[in-house]
Amino acid sequence: MAAVLSAESSDYSQVMASATRTQADDEASLIRRAQRSDTAAFEILYRANVDRVYGLCLRMTGNVSEAEDCTQEAFIQAWKQLAKFRGDAAFGTWLHRIAVNAVLGRMRQSRREHDRIRAVAELNDAPVTAADSGDLRDLSDALNRLPEGARHVFVLYAVYGYSHEEAGNMLGIASGTSKAQLHRARRLLAQQLGQDGPRT
Amino acid sequence: MNDERNNNAQDDDGQNEATDRRLIEAARRLETDIAPDRDLWPGVEAAIRAPRQKRRYPAMFAQAAAVVLLVGASSGLTYLMMKDDTRPVTVVAPELLFDQVAFGDGYSLGPGFRDARGSVASNLEQELERLPAKDRAEVEQNLALIRTAIAEINAALEEDPDNALLQELLLKTYREELNVMRQVRGLTRDVMSRNDI
Repeated sequence: MAAVLSAESSDYSQVMASATRTQADDEASLIRRAQRSDTAAFEILYRANVDRVYGLCLRMTGNVSEAEDCTQEAFIQAWKQLAKFRGDAAFGTWLHRIAVNAVLGRMRQSRREHDRIRAVAELNDAPVTAADSGDLRDLSDALNRLPEGARHVFVLYAVYGYSHEEAGNMLGIASGTSKAQLHRARRLLAQQLGQDGPRT
Repeated sequence: MNDERNNNAQDDDGQNEATDRRLIEAARRLETDIAPDRDLWPGVEAAIRAPRQKRRYPAMFAQAAAVVLLVGASSGLTYLMMKDDTRPVTVVAPELLFDQVAFGDGYSLGPGFRDARGSVASNLEQELERLPAKDRAEVEQNLALIRTAIAEINAALEEDPDNALLQELLLKTYREELNVMRQVRGLTRDVMSRNDI
């Protein structure tokens, strides 16, 4: 029985490894086609990655319409810069970098006061938390109320699992600054959520 | 007493660590992939299928206008600085300030520049108030001209994003704006020294 299980487990691993390789091959092939201006291939890449990119934009902006704009901008920029993609990083990570740039660019463009007021007003009823289940909604709400710098670092580090160095590179700040912003974010979140922090 | 304080501090540290741990654990459970409420592909497709429009004349107009504005603004400020002949103008080499300048999406500047600009701009209003009304009006007019140039070059870059000349011009214009703001500090130092006497 143990031998059977072992054999099945081994088969399963091989199947999964093969599936992962196929997926990577598919992605690489789609990227090559898209680099040759094949929009159909790019649409498949878009469909495979849009949720992850939109998720990041939504977490970083805390605003649905801005997140939609940033997502579209990120994919437009990705299309324009596709020739520069050499596969040094995973395609999803590369897209994330572009998405972070899109969010930062968008925030800089929204410097005018009326834009900020509009964004804050929309923020109150932005259904960002709808994606999160039960007890995580409080955290998601509190996250949306963080100051921009602290929120960006917390999202990249704590939600998406990037290191301080990676988050710093994406945001154009030093890794020490990223750590300081994370500390600030934690302190503010703990204050908002009560002394005990979120329920886990 | 000290022991008690140390114990309390250790308790606080322990509690903070536990809270931090719970916070990060909870954050890792937040959704990372969220489907947008509407299909965003049509907007992306329209943008990537549209042929890039080369509006050469507006871009060239913007370049020419920006050069004229820059020369005008620089001359005005130089005149203001030199007319009282108080002391030589000290100009910080722009390269020292702009190491981190980079063009990102939307042709905004990098964090190094923003920090430098932010620190100068935060005191600008107060500095301007110290200037004589005529000088202040002249400086404000120059800044307005430079900012108009920045807006024009940005608009031209929207149409012609790969235009290296425009990118360079935008960088120079931002530098010029920062130089003007820094020179205002020099002017107000003169005002203060005259008042002191």
